[in-house]
Amino acid sequence: MTLANSLLLSSILFCIGIYGVLTRRQLIGMLLSIEIILNGANINFIAFAHFRAADPTAGAIFPIFVMAISAAEMALALAIIIAMHRQKNSKLDIQQLRRLNG
Amino acid sequence: MKALLLPDLLLVLSAFATLGLDLFMPRDSKAPFHLAWAGALAVFVVLLFLPYDQHAVFWGGYEASGRGLMYKQLFALSAAFTILLSGSYFQSGNGRQPLAYQGEFCAIILLATFGMFTVVSATDLLTLLLGMELATIPLYALCAFRKGCPLASEASTKYIIMGSLSTAVAVFGYSFLYGCAGSLRFDAVLAYATQHPTSPLLLLGVLLLLAAAGFKLTLFPFHMWAPDVYEGAPAPVTAFLSVSSKATAIAFLAVLVNGPLAPLHQQLQPAFLLLAAITMTVGNLGALKQRNLLRFMAYSSIAQAGYIVLAFAGQGAMAQTTIFYYLLVYAAANYATFFIIAVIGKSRSEEIETLQGLGRQNPGLAAVLMLAMFSLAGIPPLAGFTGKFMLFATAAQAGFYGMVLFAALNSTVSLYYYLLLIKEAYITKPASPMPALAMSPIQRASLIPLTGAMIMLGLLPSVSTAIRNILLG
Repeated sequence: MTLANSLLLSSILFCIGIYGVLTRRQLIGMLLSIEIILNGANINFIAFAHFRAADPTAGAIFPIFVMAISAAEMALALAIIIAMHRQKNSKLDIQQLRRLNG
Repeated sequence: MKALLLPDLLLVLSAFATLGLDLFMPRDSKAPFHLAWAGALAVFVVLLFLPYDQHAVFWGGYEASGRGLMYKQLFALSAAFTILLSGSYFQSGNGRQPLAYQGEFCAIILLATFGMFTVVSATDLLTLLLGMELATIPLYALCAFRKGCPLASEASTKYIIMGSLSTAVAVFGYSFLYGCAGSLRFDAVLAYATQHPTSPLLLLGVLLLLAAAGFKLTLFPFHMWAPDVYEGAPAPVTAFLSVSSKATAIAFLAVLVNGPLAPLHQQLQPAFLLLAAITMTVGNLGALKQRNLLRFMAYSSIAQAGYIVLAFAGQGAMAQTTIFYYLLVYAAANYATFFIIAVIGKSRSEEIETLQGLGRQNPGLAAVLMLAMFSLAGIPPLAGFTGKFMLFATAAQAGFYGMVLFAALNSTVSLYYYLLLIKEAYITKPASPMPALAMSPIQRASLIPLTGAMIMLGLLPSVSTAIRNILLG
């Protein structure tokens, strides 16, 4: 495993995540895609910390903060999605989010 | 200088005091509300008395400097006005269901403001990320505050999906900056950027960060969420989004562009110009056909964001002064408009037609509306004119005369839709008599300083000089 390999892996994860957000119609699927991007970024941090950083501790700690942030974000996102599900009482499809437009 | 940390501590303290008081008071008590706005105003007063030429770093990553304190003043005032604005929405929902849980609402506003304080205090990438998230995550909750309202949950769903995506993109950008500099500290990033201003990895990271900031600042092509969220969210939250959240994104950009990424300014200039040009055009064209007042304000604020980004093409104290000054001007006019929407929306719907006959019915309110619209459009002698003049002067100083011409043309387009509101208020006769308007003492007391600011900021040249002196430190 070299730095180039790790960066390639994280870029692939980034592309998968962006593709997922753009094509998924399920809200949960979109959230999962966003998690994939965040994990790609975490791999980046670990790889840079391991292979070349002058200050490896900072890079190792950053992903822990990212995980905490994304946990908070996802908890809130799920709460909002559940609130929406209760009103619409249907599948969590983004196609129904069309009352606000223009 | 331990005292420089006082406003931040006071803000957190008042947020938790509000939450605590909310626990012990009956459900419909007004005490947490009064405590919250008094707390935010107290933070502002404390900020006024601090020394602006001092500089202190706490725990290695949290810095208090003149520039930071200046932005904190804006954030504290904005929080106070948002809380005051929200007061009437807990009694009547202005056409939708009234808001509930007032104590929690006010505490969340204060906590989000603490995140904004963190953004302007950051000296490393981790603090910057945490500040951005502390400032953004509470806003998702605020947008969804009307739990049973389908519009609110649709708006907040859109907001949180787009917001999380932008966070993910930003974290990716941070990782490249860290990979280049080998450290999270701004001075390490600055040292790397000075040595290798064309490093592709660094530029990729900066591009991703710019995209994330563009989302918060509603720059084209990341502006699509804004009109929906502004319309669906409760109006005080919309006001907070359009002033505080936008100011945070601008502070974020200003911290990066004038700090660690200063050597890249040459490469970033075309990007800023392009973003500014497209964003102001999209905002202005979008606002032309809007009938809902909140949606109208969304497009207006997109266009205003375009003007502000124009100043990022310039560099140095002039550009920074201009950006902060314009933020002040924009905040005053925006809050005045939102207070008027709150007064009008109480007995009518939040559509442009409901302004009809306002000039006859309530001349004072109509005059404030006219001043706010003129200020947003940039008509002398109001503050908006001075602000826009300084923005265009900054761009001209950097040598972008074509861009100044384009922005001036755009400004003319915006005049059309701002005047449209004034026409409804003064000229169009209502088809049927409109219900009477009632203004609460809080609304009246808030509109007076906002109106004063719109006029005085334009007439007093000492304001921009003071900002400049603080920035030069």
